[in-house]
Amino acid sequence: MTTALATHVTALRAAGRLAEPGPFAETVLGHLALALPRAPLTVALADGLTLAYARPAVTGVGPAGTSGEDAALRVSGALPRVPYGATATVLVLAEGPGGPVLFPLDPARTTVVPGTNLAGEPRDTLHLHDYAVAADDVHPLSPAELAEAGLRAALARAALIAGAAERCVELTVRHTATRTQFGRPLSRFQAVKQEEARLIEESALVGAAVDAAARELSLVSVAAAKAQASASVAEIARIAHQLHGAIGFTELGDVRLATTRLWSWRDEDGDESSWAARLGREALAADDVWALLAV
Amino acid sequence: MTATTDTLQLRREVRDFLAEERARGTVLGRPDSWLTGWDPQFSRRLAGRGWVGMALPPEYGGGGLGFAARVVVIEELLAAGAPVSAHWVADRQIGPSVLAHGTEEQKQRFLPAIAAGRCYFSIGMSEQEAGSDLANVRTRAERVPGGWRLTGTKKWTGGAHVNDYAIVLARTSEHEDRHQGLSQFIVDLRAPGVRTEPIRLISGEHTFNWFHLDGVEVPDGMLLGQEGDGWKQVTGELAFERSGPERYLSTFPLLVSLTRELRRGAATPDQQARLGALLARVFAVRQLSLGVADALDAGRPADVRAALVKDLGTRLEGDIVHEVRRILPVTADTGATPGSYPHHLAYALLHSPGYTLRGGANEILRGIITRGLEQQS
Repeated sequence: MTTALATHVTALRAAGRLAEPGPFAETVLGHLALALPRAPLTVALADGLTLAYARPAVTGVGPAGTSGEDAALRVSGALPRVPYGATATVLVLAEGPGGPVLFPLDPARTTVVPGTNLAGEPRDTLHLHDYAVAADDVHPLSPAELAEAGLRAALARAALIAGAAERCVELTVRHTATRTQFGRPLSRFQAVKQEEARLIEESALVGAAVDAAARELSLVSVAAAKAQASASVAEIARIAHQLHGAIGFTELGDVRLATTRLWSWRDEDGDESSWAARLGREALAADDVWALLAV
Repeated sequence: MTATTDTLQLRREVRDFLAEERARGTVLGRPDSWLTGWDPQFSRRLAGRGWVGMALPPEYGGGGLGFAARVVVIEELLAAGAPVSAHWVADRQIGPSVLAHGTEEQKQRFLPAIAAGRCYFSIGMSEQEAGSDLANVRTRAERVPGGWRLTGTKKWTGGAHVNDYAIVLARTSEHEDRHQGLSQFIVDLRAPGVRTEPIRLISGEHTFNWFHLDGVEVPDGMLLGQEGDGWKQVTGELAFERSGPERYLSTFPLLVSLTRELRRGAATPDQQARLGALLARVFAVRQLSLGVADALDAGRPADVRAALVKDLGTRLEGDIVHEVRRILPVTADTGATPGSYPHHLAYALLHSPGYTLRGGANEILRGIITRGLEQQS
């Protein structure tokens, strides 16, 4: 499982680096959800579907029948900013009346309010009005599975950030080596070197945290990886743009494909403050703060 | 690095050992204890457990283990603020350097003593005119019958007033290329002609010295490696010196101190998030540092990544000090009870200018990082 996860994370980093246009991360996540040891799920969803994966809480999930004995659900509420929500098959994870559940969603039976993030990636809000889920489609999850799904979503997003950060490094190093001003490449200026080194470092830092979380998935490793990945975005994007000059600020430059994603992804699946707070709470609940980090 | 059963077991053993030492009152959880925590008895007890010279081969009294195992021990010691400065340099770089470049006689003489925690070294590299620009050293070694005569003055030499030996970089011949003609010598700090004068830190502590060599006679057998290879040998040590846990854990004991204080009451969400943000960064830098240890274990070059760890890690050490103060405001006080939060904060703060200077000023290291990446691309 860990090895499969590490492979997925490597693929997600590549997707982030290439600013891959499509719900790749979400699809990988959907398949990871399928890989959870829940046999019915593999039957419930056919291969070849494009999956998005939505975990936002809905405002109401209730039993469909008055007795409450039937597993069928009626769901009301909003799923805000679902990646590719209008076009993908959405898997919903939610707290049901009898514990966490997972069910597929038919966007055609929802009210879709289209939207995008700063990079233009679809982030559609789906409104559910007394949406009926047949009992066969409702798959109970254990609380641990629900928690793990949240960790995997955050790790996937952090891996995308790591990839886009690498792209910022690549493009910036290339630009400063080839762009000449005052008769020499930008990269020969000490002030530029200092900033460039910090960019390289910050990107390496994110990559190392993401790789570590992919090797050993845990609340601490994922909280640290996503908190750090999101926290590093400001510095990475700032330096990449500063060293690209005006071209990076316009559609003439490619660096925006990475930086606009970074600015969006840092908020998605939990921003740095929320993950840092979770890590902080873990640390204060533990006997030994060092033992929490070095297991 | 993936934790193996062996390293998990080792980590547990070190934690148990540290718990005993805390009970003994020798581990006070002070920040920057690898610089100022000089305790030969502690060093010997640590060596008694096999945790000094761990990477040295068993035939020289070492543990025959990889750097990864040593890193486990070092991490635990530094995070706990244990007094490791007596054997620090000998364990970290003299052992590996003597093993790599030394004669059989030097190996027999120094390595078992280092691994026993009984032989302490200082580093005689920097001088008045040779700081970041180390190739500018002026200390000279002249040939005399049966050996060399060393003359010059080293600066910032930590522990020269208490340690046994110093490794000294000196010029043995003149060349147009300044990197040639430098050699390394092992100098007995009790030899005639050696004189030290304290250079006090801004905290008032005495660890640095002027280290004068007034015609100190050094026998042939104490030349380390080849004459004229000093520069290559010194730069070869730098990856070890720059990437280890001491480049990001120096102020971790202050974080331990902070969490202890925060647990007394109900931490606010802001305090939780700020603490968590620091821990996330420690987590991430640690992973980078472990990656360098793995590379060194595998014999891969790691100069660039070591420089990167050093810049990130030592900036983090300073950031921790200032952020901790914002999370839980307190007046830093060297007069407070030793081991208390305001006492730790005071020393972490007074030591903070050193974090990004020692082991090579960070501004210079960033040049190594950008050069390294340009060469790759």
